[in-house]
Amino acid sequence: MKRGIGPLALLVLLLPGVGYLLVFFGIPLVRVIYGSFVSRTGAGFSLDTWVSLFANPVYMDGLRYSLWLAVAPTVASLVIAIPLSALMQANETSRNVFGTLYKIPLVVPGIVAGFLVLIILDRGGMLSRILQPLGIPMPRLVRDDLGVGAIIASAWKNIPFMTLIIAGAMAAINKDVLHAARTLGAGRLTVLLRIQLPLAQPGITAAVLLTFIGSVGSYVIPSLLGPSYPKPLSILMFEQGFQAGNWPLVYAMGTLLSVVAIVVLLAYYAIIGSLGRQKPVGT
Amino acid sequence: MDASLSIRQLTKQFEGHRALKGIDLEIPAGRLLVLLGPSGCGKTTLLRSISGITDPTSGEIWLKDRRIDAVPPEKRNFGLVFQTYALFPHMTVEKNVAFGLEMRRIAKPEITARVKAALELVGLDQHAARLPKQLSGGQQQRVALARAIVIEPDVLLFDEPLSNLDAKLRDSLREDLRALQLKLGITSIYVTHDQSEAMALGDEIVVMADGEIVERGTPIDLYRRPIYRFTAEFLGMTNVIEAQVYGDVAKLPWGEARRIENPATQNVEGVAIRPEDLGIEPVDADGHGTITQSVFMGASIHYWIAAAGKTLRAVTTGGSAPILPNGQRVRLVPPPSLHLLRAHKAGGRP
Repeated sequence: MKRGIGPLALLVLLLPGVGYLLVFFGIPLVRVIYGSFVSRTGAGFSLDTWVSLFANPVYMDGLRYSLWLAVAPTVASLVIAIPLSALMQANETSRNVFGTLYKIPLVVPGIVAGFLVLIILDRGGMLSRILQPLGIPMPRLVRDDLGVGAIIASAWKNIPFMTLIIAGAMAAINKDVLHAARTLGAGRLTVLLRIQLPLAQPGITAAVLLTFIGSVGSYVIPSLLGPSYPKPLSILMFEQGFQAGNWPLVYAMGTLLSVVAIVVLLAYYAIIGSLGRQKPVGT
Repeated sequence: MDASLSIRQLTKQFEGHRALKGIDLEIPAGRLLVLLGPSGCGKTTLLRSISGITDPTSGEIWLKDRRIDAVPPEKRNFGLVFQTYALFPHMTVEKNVAFGLEMRRIAKPEITARVKAALELVGLDQHAARLPKQLSGGQQQRVALARAIVIEPDVLLFDEPLSNLDAKLRDSLREDLRALQLKLGITSIYVTHDQSEAMALGDEIVVMADGEIVERGTPIDLYRRPIYRFTAEFLGMTNVIEAQVYGDVAKLPWGEARRIENPATQNVEGVAIRPEDLGIEPVDADGHGTITQSVFMGASIHYWIAAAGKTLRAVTTGGSAPILPNGQRVRLVPPPSLHLLRAHKAGGRP
């Protein structure tokens, strides 16, 4: 007595969810990809845009710089957020202290964070005024080639988000599991590496994903703190679109940036996946 | 191994609450000591202080002739088994058991052999490649046991390990656990609030209340000859009856007199009669009390009897025991001698 649902009924039932995705995500995406293959004059299919994108070092440097400005803050935030999250698990006092402190950057908008870093790190800024009387030369940290200022601002902004997610994932671990590891001979660092990190890994992955995607397309911080060359694709897209009117190139850059971001994240998942795989004892 | 454990004046102060009020305890090498008490009595805090997970506020813990209360848990070489099993969920059974050996940097072939032996000991060598979540609760606790004993600990600590299991499994694992402890001869401390578990497992039982030790003794002594009312009432059911005491004779409220086996004058709370020691005989008229309620339990019948202004419990056993209706008048037959109970400062009523 199985009352199957007809294909038509199924389609109608799926429509609210799938239809929404299709209309507001699928169609624009297809439009963007399609737009990158239309010649600039608007006359039919053309690979010209893609050829010029790959041939011009400005855009290739821009792609590399976009990735750098996404990977570096992600790594930097992770390096700080993980120990911070672990410390917050240690006891009630550290949970209260760090739990309050790390939330401060959450309420500061990105552009304000950018200006904060500018005020502190720029030449003639706060830090150089402190260092100058001591005779220590101030290195160039703002509008520098490595984008140190942009990375600092981006990491500063992302650490709270990461900590929020990772500390949440770590707090969900049964405390007895950590105690068991201690009594079996693991020190605090070993417990972090062998127990807490693997068990909090889904949270860490989510945090990495959010930070990476947020940074790879960020516009405000690199335009404020980044160098004049190279410029990340986000800035180049804005310039090409609104200043040069070269929309096929904007579409092509958008497509390329998305594809590369997906490839980077897939590589990350592959590495994490191979780490998590169980190896039998003694082989 | 031969590791005796000695605890001296151990205290633990939580915010505004004294969880341990100066515990002194000696555990002879190779014995299993049960810490028994109601929740909040400090037994788990004491166990966790011994394991090193909790830092005591003051006092000393000695393992044989080595003071260990400042030693971090990873350097104590104690095995700890938790109520929640606390297996590493991302590791296979084999990896879980191997963890402690890996921490001790033991060579891989030896790890493999010892893990296999430990899993055989708990009957789970077939499940070595499984993840904890693929096992039942009882199997998970066996893995936790294997993980604790494979490191050849100086002391084994159990924190209510059977409380999360269902009754049948609890009994069988309890037997296995006791057999294993006797076989390995590891000094053990076992925390529980379950008096039947305590009696079945312990060489000795330490009854705790309110951060203090109330009484210590063998299961037989504590059940049959407890000093304190708290112990008597916590270890099984008992009728505490206010009797008039004249030297070594007590007169029960319904008139009968019996010899007291442990005469005392200070802090006397009454005499104790276990339900199974209180005989009842149905009578037509008079009698000492009336049956108000009864429960047929198969092997025994439990009666509630209104007598001398309170409710007494009596248990009859055997297939020939008469089944008495509610409202039946009964004569109460106390045992030949009576046991006095005293009040303990720490224990209210359990």
